[in-house]
Amino acid sequence: MKIPSNLAKSSLLATGIFWVIGLTEGFESAMLPLMFISYIPVFVCCTGTILLTICPFYFFGETKHFSKRQVFQRFYPYYSIVCFALCAYGIYENTNETFLIGFFVAVFFTTMQSWIWFAKEPADETV
Amino acid sequence: MKIIITTIASMLFSTLFYDQHIGLNLTVFSLVTLVVLGISNPSKLRMKETLTVMGLYLLTAILVFFNHSSLSIIANCAVFFTLVGSFSESTSSVYVKWLNGIYSSIAGTFHRNFENKSENKKPWNEDVDVLHLVKIIVIPLVVVILFVLLYKDGNPFFDSIVSAINFDFINFQWVLFCLLGYYLFSNIIVPVKVQPATDSDLATENQLKPFEPLNEDKLKKEKQLGTVLLALLNTLIVLYIISDIAFLLSNTNFAASVLSNQVHNGINALIASIIFAIIIILYFFRGNLNFFDDNKTLKNLSYLWIFLNAFLVLLIIVKNAQYIDAFGLTYKRIGVYVYLFMTFIGLTTTFLKVYQIKNLWFLFRRNVSVAFMLLVLCSVVNWDAFITNYNIKNADSLDVNYLIELSNNNAFILHQKKDRMVLKSNQGARIDLKYSNYVSALEQSNWQEWSYDNLKIKTDIKSYEDTK
Repeated sequence: MKIPSNLAKSSLLATGIFWVIGLTEGFESAMLPLMFISYIPVFVCCTGTILLTICPFYFFGETKHFSKRQVFQRFYPYYSIVCFALCAYGIYENTNETFLIGFFVAVFFTTMQSWIWFAKEPADETV
Repeated sequence: MKIIITTIASMLFSTLFYDQHIGLNLTVFSLVTLVVLGISNPSKLRMKETLTVMGLYLLTAILVFFNHSSLSIIANCAVFFTLVGSFSESTSSVYVKWLNGIYSSIAGTFHRNFENKSENKKPWNEDVDVLHLVKIIVIPLVVVILFVLLYKDGNPFFDSIVSAINFDFINFQWVLFCLLGYYLFSNIIVPVKVQPATDSDLATENQLKPFEPLNEDKLKKEKQLGTVLLALLNTLIVLYIISDIAFLLSNTNFAASVLSNQVHNGINALIASIIFAIIIILYFFRGNLNFFDDNKTLKNLSYLWIFLNAFLVLLIIVKNAQYIDAFGLTYKRIGVYVYLFMTFIGLTTTFLKVYQIKNLWFLFRRNVSVAFMLLVLCSVVNWDAFITNYNIKNADSLDVNYLIELSNNNAFILHQKKDRMVLKSNQGARIDLKYSNYVSALEQSNWQEWSYDNLKIKTDIKSYEDTK
């Protein structure tokens, strides 16, 4: 599994989504350095989330007889529904906080895409 | 073609829902969804199941406009997921349709993106170097913005030119809402399915099959245990029913607290009794005992147990009806009827399961389907208006405060009929306040938030002034 590249791409995606939503509140030039620096905390969040909630499915699920594609088909639908429910609840509880809405939207789309990136990787020879 | 449809639908989505409350917008959205699904999946329109769910969706969409109640909105959402699930696999069970519908609505695009790649279908971006395209747009844009910000601080004249650029005419939140709509419609336009769950559901029949081998000695012992247990339980429930009837006949004028206790205790007893009844019956008729020749006594005792539980349901209905006669309708009392109805259906399907030798999935499928239909049927009634009308007309003891605390759906009725009620000190003023607040909310609402009450408002005010 190409975890580092997945984490880097996911963090970039999450940062992008977070700021696109955050910027609907307005843009000031002073925010620009923040936007670049925010990649670091976003990377930390992404690393934790992806390593703890997505990787275990591929670590323990993928075998010689059970491909990445099957892991994806078996677990991804339920993961996406649970993830959506949690993020939707987070948004519902914070309807007036644009940055928190941005955070939850970023979490949802990033985890969804991260699953796809893992699933599209060629089969792991070591399993 | 699909991109054009999705784009138009997404713009409509944003126009309908951005910064609006639920009303006419949900009705229009439902119609748009029906058209989009119909155009993009014409082959599914030949399926009877899909057409039925489309009809139900249309019905709930109209009900959202007319009733404007939380129940009609919930029913509309439930039918939406069923509809999307029906377009992905029309012959599956209702709960699998919900699963497919929710999954399609949430992550359909991601799923299709993965499936297309792994099935080696030609992707839309094969001839376009997307990464290069992103690079030539994003990198220069970021660099230019960076330099503009630097130059801005270095030259006041340049700063004034840059400050004069105003993007206020673009509402970015509206645009983002549009993207959300695009995501939703691109998810549902070609519904996907949860393959393992759908395959397993389609492969599972309702009929129970015998397991080999048939161990007669073991089955005989199991039958004896079941017979003794069900005979004792039947005796016990008969005693309970006799004592209950005696109590009902002993006195006809109960206090509210007595009736309330009776109904609630009855319900609790019923819950325990039905759960035990179904678990016991499912345990004994889980396998080969269904095909054992000498199972007649056990089967008859099971039918009797089911029948006596159904009789218990009838007794609770009588108590609840007495309660409602005296103190009027409330949501909880209607809820008791709904629960009793579902209990009765549960008992009937359990009877069918034993009689026709069906499996556990049969019970799930039938009961979930009935619960779903009941949700849709209940959303047909405007309950706040119904409760208010019923209580004013029939209740011996009218709880006006309860009626005032209901949603705005009864504001017109309360206002029209307040002269026929016996009101305490401030209740008349509270009814007037509720009415005026509702009328002003209706007058200020945008067309997206309209409901049937917006059309009624003028006639209602006129008729009220005429009666004055």
